[in-house]
Amino acid sequence: MLPVQLLINGLVTGCALGVVAVSFSLIYATTKIFHVAHAGVYTMAGYVAWWLVSRGAPEIVALLVAIAACALLGALIQGGLYAQLAKRRATHLVVLIASLGMLAVIQNIIAAVFTPNILQFAVPWAEHVVSLDTIRVTYTQLLTVVVSLAAYAGVMWFAHHTILGKRIRAVAANPFLAEITRLRPNAVYIYVVAIASAIVALPGVLVPLDLGLQPYGGITPLLTATIAMIAGGVGSISGAFMLSVAIAVLQNLSLLVIPGEWSIGITFFIFVIFMLFRPTGLFAAAR
Amino acid sequence: MDFLFSYLALAAIYVMLGLSTNLLVGIVGIFSVSQAAVFGVGAYIVAHFLMATEPLAFLPALAIAMVCCITLNILVTLPSLRVSGDYFVVTSFGIQLLATAVFTNWTAGTGGANGLPGIPPPDVFGYQLDSTFQLMALCLCGLLLACGCFWLIMRAPFGRLLRAIREDELAVAAAGKNVLRAKVSAAALAGAFAGMAGGMYATFLSFIDPSSFDLDASILLLTMVVVGGARTLAGSIVGPFLLLAMPQALSMLDIPTTIAAAARQLIYGFLLIAFMLFRPQGLVGERL
Repeated sequence: MLPVQLLINGLVTGCALGVVAVSFSLIYATTKIFHVAHAGVYTMAGYVAWWLVSRGAPEIVALLVAIAACALLGALIQGGLYAQLAKRRATHLVVLIASLGMLAVIQNIIAAVFTPNILQFAVPWAEHVVSLDTIRVTYTQLLTVVVSLAAYAGVMWFAHHTILGKRIRAVAANPFLAEITRLRPNAVYIYVVAIASAIVALPGVLVPLDLGLQPYGGITPLLTATIAMIAGGVGSISGAFMLSVAIAVLQNLSLLVIPGEWSIGITFFIFVIFMLFRPTGLFAAAR
Repeated sequence: MDFLFSYLALAAIYVMLGLSTNLLVGIVGIFSVSQAAVFGVGAYIVAHFLMATEPLAFLPALAIAMVCCITLNILVTLPSLRVSGDYFVVTSFGIQLLATAVFTNWTAGTGGANGLPGIPPPDVFGYQLDSTFQLMALCLCGLLLACGCFWLIMRAPFGRLLRAIREDELAVAAAGKNVLRAKVSAAALAGAFAGMAGGMYATFLSFIDPSSFDLDASILLLTMVVVGGARTLAGSIVGPFLLLAMPQALSMLDIPTTIAAAARQLIYGFLLIAFMLFRPQGLVGERL
């Protein structure tokens, strides 16, 4: 039954990863910034929730506060850093380096405050297990799948059926035209990064509930998510989500033949294959 | 005195790495956070050949390491240079994480997380270099070689071609120059510098472990180039000398050892942001 268990684990991880990919894709498609610091926002969500839970706050409050904190941090990064850089007509490379600097700052503030060691959530219900035959699924895993799918559906609905969502897509499609039709791209950028940061707080809290927290633990998920985004086709939300699930499943199934510490190699191998054979991704929007 | 010598030797090694990063990030304009991985490959290869049952001499081992690093750097850059620049960010992060995984988990070849102790000191044409002063002299020779190489290239038509590519790739291609080949050559040269630095680092410290070649190390290299200033020789020299002195300055402050590493990386992060915002040309460089 090991393959089935691994398949399920892969689906769970993939859903969480899918939300990271969707949120990154929102930012990248709209602002065109390769927002490396997103990994820091993702990590911070878990630490905010952990701190509140360890102070006795109810889990749902911890989650909501983490979401709010991440949205605020995202808005600050866009408004305080990226917008300032854009004003100074910084090149793409400069923005990228600044984003990397921001990632280093967030991660190391966390490491200095909470120590670099692994922290575990003390939430008893999270470890309850639903077992069917020999297959075990924890409550956290179930919750992760439900919340992730809901977040994915929510983003799809938001992008296509709300005024702000349409405005975001308009800015993403053509910032110049959006500017002259008074859609105010700069405000939209702040909304987008704040919303995406709020969304990434969901996996940011749920994944550590199962696996524990580490200050430098955000980079690998973000890297996998960006690979999924590229493989799915930049700009395609569904593509990013589906490819995340596919990559996570492949990664988990590869555990049958390859030890876990090499899973980053598998992810990267998938990326190289895509680079060589289909660099525009599977579901690339028509240009 | 030994303290000063080892500071100079380490600074010389990091200047070579700074030049390597500068070539990629400053001159060709591709973002890279994987130079520490290439540096590590160089260090491990030299260590391997010096500690083999039939050890090679230092210079042949260094040559092999440099060839491997050149190949690696070309392989790393080639697929991504063909597509969008942002994809290189992914490649670069991926290579760095993959390299850290190899250094940490391939225990048979790299000693795993415990590292490789007892790397013998280098020899040059049969003459053993033992004292810190001699090792420093070797590193300074490497430094002079790398700086001379960088300086000559920047004056040569090839250097102008690289600058032109950074300014306007399309125009260069339209003028009939082979952009891809120029970028790959720059990547190869960057690999050679990193490999040389790696070999000298391994023999100078006589101990290497994965923590010297992880993502944090790559961020440090980027910070050195950004603080010193991109695209100039002086920038790549100033950056490493300044930033390597910083941990010493920090140790005078009373920071608990448990958070010292995080505090250091935190400062590098702040430096990256501050320089990008207020002085993208660094101390003595040109605008990125």
